[in-house]
Formats: sequence, structure tokens, C-alpha cells
Amino acid sequence: MMLNGVRRSVQGYRCDHATTKREKSMTPTLRDSMNLVSDPASLDHSVHEVFETMLGLECRRQSSLESLDANRGAESVTAVVGFGGILSGACILCCKASAARRIAECMAGMNFDAVDDVVKDAIGEICNMIAGTWKGKVPELSANCGLSVPAVITGSDYKLHVQAPEFKIRHTYSFEETHFEMTIVCDGLQ
Amino acid sequence: MSEVRALIVDDSSVMRKIVERSLRQAGLDALVVFEAGSGVEALEVLKSRKVDLILSDINMPSMDGLEFVRQLSSQQLAVGVPIVMITTESSEEHVKQAIMAGAKGYIRKPFTADQVKQRVLSLLSAA
Repeated sequence: MMLNGVRRSVQGYRCDHATTKREKSMTPTLRDSMNLVSDPASLDHSVHEVFETMLGLECRRQSSLESLDANRGAESVTAVVGFGGILSGACILCCKASAARRIAECMAGMNFDAVDDVVKDAIGEICNMIAGTWKGKVPELSANCGLSVPAVITGSDYKLHVQAPEFKIRHTYSFEETHFEMTIVCDGLQ
Repeated sequence: MSEVRALIVDDSSVMRKIVERSLRQAGLDALVVFEAGSGVEALEVLKSRKVDLILSDINMPSMDGLEFVRQLSSQQLAVGVPIVMITTESSEEHVKQAIMAGAKGYIRKPFTADQVKQRVLSLLSAA
């Protein structure tokens, strides 16, 4: 599955929002803030903030990257929130079905036997909030980068492919007895 | 506090439930909630229902929250009703756009029930 479609949906963002004379004459750039954008700690802080505030869950970043590929064959859930504007790319949350159900339980206050529409909705929203919190940590990004509505993929045998990202941050986090993976991929930088 | 009729606009049904739960935790026991999954749906609701408070997401399909608030003004719907935007977008520019569109408050996701309580109660007491 390619992510270009998700990214394309938000690529018009900067054109729509940078219309004043002042904005046109002061085209914002991220080149000076790249250390902030690519700082792995920004993703960690964003994940912790969203999990603690919305789910009441403490999650820990795992030092070794335990890839979910090891669980290939088991049902998994992947949420993708694209961003576009001064920076284009995507924020991706991937977890096993059991982790998705647990996240949804904490969020909605009810139990789920399967990955239904409410669980998919919850995972999409969590990914959306992490993406928003992450970009909010860089002022230029916060003001000049828009988010797409979340897309959620479920299944047991699929891979996400991103064509030659400019940079990628991929972390695994654990909470309770399970874990999930967060990835930020960026391929277009102004 | 007497009965409060609130319209919650968000494309996520889970987020609508969380916002409703936060309102109830704010002490709004006599709460009547209407829900809409987009700005278009919300405008339809407001054509037949009177509300005291509107809480709306910004980033939604069909019609986003900012356009929804602008449409309220142009269609003379929910005049004088306080509108709170609840969204992941948190830049000063987004806040400015929301205020210019007609919003009276702004809450950034992720939020706590206490943040919703403070913002909503202050707006309702001022209304």
C-alpha cells in the first residue's frame, strides 16, 4: 500500500492558507528548525502526552525496536494521518488487534470483542492527536502544515511502502502487556 | 445550572462520546446532547433544534469546522450561541482563524475533562 494518496490529499494546504501579501513575501522555511523536526524526543513526548491525557495509560519507549513484522499473520491495525504544506509526509500508528481494542476500551469506556468501526475510529483519532501534538512542537510546522483525516487499515498480511523518505523516525512503545509502533515519514521539505 | 442543550460536532463518534462525558463531568447533569459528524450535518441539526452550546472539531470531511462556523453566521443560525473549537490544530494562526470565524473558545486535543469544564462553564455563565 502506498502512502502517496494520503499525502496528496493535504498537499494543497499551504496554497490555501498562505494567501496574504505578508505570508507570500515571508515564505516560511523549516531548514532552520530541522533539528527540532527530526528530534526523536518530540515523538516520545507527543505519544506520552496523548496516552496519558486521553487514555490514562503510561507507555514506555522500548529501547530495542521490536518490529510488528514478527507478528505477521496476526490481525493488525494501522492508522495513517498525512500532513502537507511546508513539510509533507505521514504519521503512522501500527499495532496488533488486541492493542487496538485495549486503546479503544480506555478511550470509549467500553469493551470490544473485535476490531469494529469504533475501534478503528479510536485508533485513527489517537494517531491524529499524536500527529497534531508532534507538529505543534515546531512553531513553523504548527502554522504551515495541515493534517488529513485519518485513514485506517486492518488485515493480517500487508505492508506499507513509502518511496524514499527524506527522513524517518520509527519508535516502538509498550503499555500494559502490549506494544505499538509509531512512524513519522517526511519526504517533502521546503 | 438549568438544562443545557449542547451540539457536539466531530467526525469521530469516539471523540463525541468523550466530549459528552467531559461535559457531564463538568456538572452539567441536565444535559441534552445532539451529535453531528460534519459541518453539513450540524447545520441540518440546527435548522430544527435550539442549542445553548456548540463544540466543534475543525478537521472534518464534507465541511470543516471553520466553514461550519462561517455558515452559521451567514445563515443566521444559532445566533449568540457560544462555540468552542476542539481540535488538534493549535497554532496561533488556527486560533485566530477560529475566533475570526465566530468561535468563543478553543480547546486543543488532547484535553482533560477539567479543561472542558473550565472553558464551557465560563462561556455558559457569560452567555
